[in-house]
Amino acid sequence: MVERAVEIRKGFHQSLDEVSQELVRLAGMVTEALGKATQALLDGDLAVAEDIIRGDDVLDTLTLQIEEHCYQLLTLQQPMASDLRELVTAIRLTAEIERSGDLVANIMKAARRMYGVAFDPKVRGLIEHMGEQVHRQFRLAIDAYVERDDTLAAAIDDMDDTVDELHVDYIQAIFETHEQGVVDLQPAVQLALVGRFYERIGDHAVNIGERVRYMVTGWLPEHAAAARQSVRDADGDDLPLPPSVHKGPVSG
Amino acid sequence: MVSPLVVASVAVLVVLLAAGLSVSLVSCRTTRRRLAEEAAADAAHLEDERAMATLLAGALGAIPQGVVICDDAGREVFRNQVAQAYVRGRHGEALVEQAIQEQLHALRAGAAPLRTLDLYGPPRRVLLLSAVALQDGHRAPGALVLVDDVSERRRLEAVRRDFVANITHELKTPVGALGLLADTITAEDDGAVVRRLAERMTEEAFRVSRVIDDLLDLSRIEAEESPRCEPVPVRLVVTEAVERVRPLAQTRGITLDVDELAGWHCVQGDQRQLVSAVANLLENACKYSDAGSSVEVRCRMEGGVAEVEVRDHGIGIPGRDLERVFERFYRVDPARSRETGGTGLGLAIVRHVVTNHKGEVRVASREGEGSVFTLRLPSGTRPDAPHLVGAAGWPAPRIPT
Repeated sequence: MVERAVEIRKGFHQSLDEVSQELVRLAGMVTEALGKATQALLDGDLAVAEDIIRGDDVLDTLTLQIEEHCYQLLTLQQPMASDLRELVTAIRLTAEIERSGDLVANIMKAARRMYGVAFDPKVRGLIEHMGEQVHRQFRLAIDAYVERDDTLAAAIDDMDDTVDELHVDYIQAIFETHEQGVVDLQPAVQLALVGRFYERIGDHAVNIGERVRYMVTGWLPEHAAAARQSVRDADGDDLPLPPSVHKGPVSG
Repeated sequence: MVSPLVVASVAVLVVLLAAGLSVSLVSCRTTRRRLAEEAAADAAHLEDERAMATLLAGALGAIPQGVVICDDAGREVFRNQVAQAYVRGRHGEALVEQAIQEQLHALRAGAAPLRTLDLYGPPRRVLLLSAVALQDGHRAPGALVLVDDVSERRRLEAVRRDFVANITHELKTPVGALGLLADTITAEDDGAVVRRLAERMTEEAFRVSRVIDDLLDLSRIEAEESPRCEPVPVRLVVTEAVERVRPLAQTRGITLDVDELAGWHCVQGDQRQLVSAVANLLENACKYSDAGSSVEVRCRMEGGVAEVEVRDHGIGIPGRDLERVFERFYRVDPARSRETGGTGLGLAIVRHVVTNHKGEVRVASREGEGSVFTLRLPSGTRPDAPHLVGAAGWPAPRIPT
């Protein structure tokens, strides 16, 4: 009887492993698209842009499949503790990765709208830099997930400061080029949106890092906030929490 | 009383039984021997097969392509080392694995066309995936997927293709202009116009001659596999190169900020070639910077390697062109090349000089921020500095502004 239980768990762990591999594949598609998108944006390559925009449907389909797979395991296997954390993390990660893929497609849509506009070298350099930095961050977040490395996962948040700084410089550069009359208002707005898209992808990478930390250690960033809030509650110097919010750390 | 007949028959029976037993014993022994022999033969055969399989696996492991073999049911039976890296791979590797499975699937469904997988990495790679059904006469016992990394091949193709196109452009443009100008002069009577056209002709002629000079320089450096080998002080190379570029820097309003290496550290090589390499880098730095900006030259000695770094704050080089700027006649922006008046050979010359000196040249750049070129040369022995200073009477290095 015990042996059979072990056997069933073995099958379950194999399925968990499959989910994780599918997730890595999904992420691989997004990282590849991200690198491709930055180059296509700088080159004004419409063919690649179309390719990526169309590829987003493939991403969405795979996302749905992974999610279905997760729900199936959740209901049929009723996992507990670290298994449960891993599965819940997988569900969260599909959403983060899928959203990042959407943002890459958005960058390409903006590239389509800006077709034929010559960018200032400084703006181009910053786009390239932001693209590389976000790309690296996203890859490292996936590395952290594959290797179950909570230290690396925690480092992604610090790396994101670089992206935020670049984003500020980038917006400044757009203002300057617009003032000099190099870029019209319409493409300038599109450029600003593109910067925002990159910055958001960086944030999704940070979220992935946080979810990986949760998977490995059971820690969530909200725990720190909840702890702060409970201290404030004890001191009675802040607004009370709504009754539905958990006050203490919750681990699976 | 027992009848003798019975005794005799019993005796015969016993004899017969014994004989039968011994016969069956003998035949049993032969069977066992035969079986043992067969087993040994089988074992030897099996051993041979195993050795063959190991040999074939080793051979497939030694080839640079990724190989995946499946049986007729589509189950994977073999994967060489290169292809092994795609299993449980992440990022681009995960996509290669997916493509392998898709190729196998397509082959089972009918035919799998050759597929190109363009991976942006980094590093950027181009992979070709082909799936072939294995045949043994009447049926297909399995399938094979081959993953071929053609990045280097593609790169070389691009270099060759662009070289021909660019050299044609670089030589044909001024020659075409010369022809047109000469044509116009023939039909022109106005002296002033003729003079202006002639000036333009001289300019264009200079342009062609500069390209030819650089080409000759380059082929000379290429032919000279081992340049003259004498200790050359790094600061001398830098000072001479800076002096050569100073007029250009002044006309373009660019500040040269030189921080020379203290002491008389030397590299082994040909001084003229080394000066031309550094001067080429400085010239580029000045040409691609805006007026009012500065170009910095830094020298370092690190672990037996002399480094000369030329940093500008100009327009910079796009990431995808970074690897290609050292190619002959390669232009990041062909529209700009006539403005700067370069020949498109400067960096090719730099790379050849450095390679001849067993060093390397590195480039880091960002569009809109500028570029940093670093020459790294293995350092030679340090010559007797006072003797050198005394004999040649070199001036103390100035810090130009």
